Amino acid sequence: MKNKKEIIKIENVSYRYKDAKKDEYVFKNLSFDFELGKVYAIKGKSGSGKTTLLSLICGFETNYEGKIFYDNKDLSKIDLDKYRNSDIGIVFQSYNLLPHLTAAENIILSMDINGIKNKYKEKYRNSLKLLEDVGLTKKHGDRRVLRLSGGEQQRVAIARSLSYNPKVIIADEPTGNLDKDTEEDILNIFKKLAKDENKCVIIVTHSENVCKNSDIVYELKKKQENKDGKQRKGK
Amino acid sequence: MYIIKNALTSIKRNKGRNILIGIIILVISAASSITLAIRSSANNIVKSYEEQYNLEASISMDRQALMESFKNESSSQEEMIEQFNNIKELTIEQINNYGNSDYLKSYYYIYNTSVNAKDIEETTDSLIKETTKTETTTKSWGNDYQNGGFPGGRVPSGGQTTTKQTTITEKIFNDKVSSGAFTLIGYSSYESMSEFINGTYSMTSGSIFNDLSSAECIISEELAVLNELEVGDEITLLNPNDEDLTYKVKISGIYKENSDDANDMSSMFSRSANQIITTSSVIEKIIADDEDLSVTITPTFILKDEDSIDKFKSEVEDKGLSEYYIVTTNEEMVKNATKSISNVKSFAMVFLVITLIIGGVVLLVINMINIRERKYEIGVLRTIGMKKSLVISQFMLELLIVAIFSLLIGAGVGSLCSVDIANSLLENEINNSSEQIDNINKNFGGMNTYGGSNKTNFVGNNKISGVVTIEQVSNINAVVDFKVLIELLAIGILLTIFSSISSGVAISRFSPLDILKER
Repeated sequence: MKNKKEIIKIENVSYRYKDAKKDEYVFKNLSFDFELGKVYAIKGKSGSGKTTLLSLICGFETNYEGKIFYDNKDLSKIDLDKYRNSDIGIVFQSYNLLPHLTAAENIILSMDINGIKNKYKEKYRNSLKLLEDVGLTKKHGDRRVLRLSGGEQQRVAIARSLSYNPKVIIADEPTGNLDKDTEEDILNIFKKLAKDENKCVIIVTHSENVCKNSDIVYELKKKQENKDGKQRKGK
Repeated sequence: MYIIKNALTSIKRNKGRNILIGIIILVISAASSITLAIRSSANNIVKSYEEQYNLEASISMDRQALMESFKNESSSQEEMIEQFNNIKELTIEQINNYGNSDYLKSYYYIYNTSVNAKDIEETTDSLIKETTKTETTTKSWGNDYQNGGFPGGRVPSGGQTTTKQTTITEKIFNDKVSSGAFTLIGYSSYESMSEFINGTYSMTSGSIFNDLSSAECIISEELAVLNELEVGDEITLLNPNDEDLTYKVKISGIYKENSDDANDMSSMFSRSANQIITTSSVIEKIIADDEDLSVTITPTFILKDEDSIDKFKSEVEDKGLSEYYIVTTNEEMVKNATKSISNVKSFAMVFLVITLIIGGVVLLVINMINIRERKYEIGVLRTIGMKKSLVISQFMLELLIVAIFSLLIGAGVGSLCSVDIANSLLENEINNSSEQIDNINKNFGGMNTYGGSNKTNFVGNNKISGVVTIEQVSNINAVVDFKVLIELLAIGILLTIFSSISSGVAISRFSPLDILKER
């Protein structure tokens, strides 16, 4: 990669479903770069392939044409479990927290999966610190996640994605279920992470507000070649 | 490993689901524990039977071979008896030689001889043969007629011829049976006293001699009454061949015959009336003084195991056993003795297999439903980077923890129930066993099972084989031993692995993103 700040690079990536016709691509020859310290928004209409692109970047789908690089490493050649539990943090629209665990325990489990060897007490302290960073208290931390509001659960999901300090945060419609004020709060957290902690934040969204608050917006167009379908928005 | 902590948290926080799985495993475990306990008890009883019900081999006359030989040689009855007399009886040296075998645990023998004379003409293996002898005598007239004159003055030429026929009765008998007033039986072991074990004879006063090397005997009630003999009296036995050879034996007990023969109304006395039972050492002393005394020795060989039967038979043949003798065993009887208990064991095994199949299928289905419910959890764990193998391990571990916990409770519940269940299923065996022990001790003139008397316990002192002591199961340890617990644990682990197959397959096939999209 030419630019040192580039952390994820998508190079001529095309994707079609397994049962689709030979030339029926969701998107074709897509090339995007993602740099550290910036907030990216990927927007597009329903069916344009936003979530599919996210699943390729996250390593959930591997059956694609072209190359995806993370930190100059070809994604098809690395351990994707390790990639997901160390290098990227994923935040979903529906939060995807484990309901039988407390907020803090969800974060600690993520640390455990990453292989952080600290003692439980230390991990618990760190989880509370992460929750504090996203605007939650110890009281929230000790509650089962189902007893938290949608906004609070999304903050917990963000805190969990930061638990092992990944370079990239990938969020799929993170504010889709939230009210405007909470959306602002969440966006501020993402912006802070990019600016203060030099993380690359990629947000898949429908929201114009999210696009406005992003450094760069990529737009996917439905079932057509997306080579020119990206827009850059400078600050 | 964090998956242990995770599994424990998951169990704790999903009580309803795990209690349901736990109850199913508990029921399977209790049922398995009961059946394993019954099988274990039945096994122990069968083992006791096998240990105490000796596999015995005897040497007896092969009458079929004998008859075949007679038939082939188309012998007359006289020749047959002669031929039979020529078959040599087993000697104590031969018996000791056969008894010295690697396939035997031990051996014993019964001496049978007669003392004093006894007419046995009526026995079937004796023959009365009549022969006619013709004698012809010729008398010369010469001097008599010359001296005394002959009527008519004519003297016949030559002399007078007289023919005389004489009938001679010759007795041809089986010389293996000698004459004697009393039958003297000498036992070398209590085990060989089968009449007292099976109840044909039982003691009416005194008891069977305590020491097999003592000069003691037991006599029939009839003989005792007729001769006014009592326990403690001494009788003198006479060698029928030489009545100067005498042997004193002390009466240790008096017995009566309980068999159908004793009810024979055509005879004043029972068949055993003239039977004196003593130790082998008494007869050995008599034989030592008179080698010509006819003595039959019946040996019994205690085999080590079932495999030894054929090996012992061929060994005995190699050692020169006559073709007219055959080695027979009580193998069939031993098998029959354990048949009913083996049936209980088989029933327990069938029940166990059915329980495991039904339990395993129910557990598998519940686990599949469980996995469908937990699909979301699987998806979350996979998206945050948990490896498939670790997710499967965690799910298996959860089931294993619930299974072990339930197995232990189930084993406890099953064990408590199994004491009563095992007792009721084995009730017949237990009752038969204690009755048998009581009867044998009574027949031998010893103490009964519950008696606190100072009499000898013949069964308890292991003097007699073929008697199995089966007692009521009174504690859990008696039915649920270490082996049962290990078997139960193995069953639990197998069930866990079997029912986890569904979760393993599901977890490896689920695509995390698809799961989350479904939600």
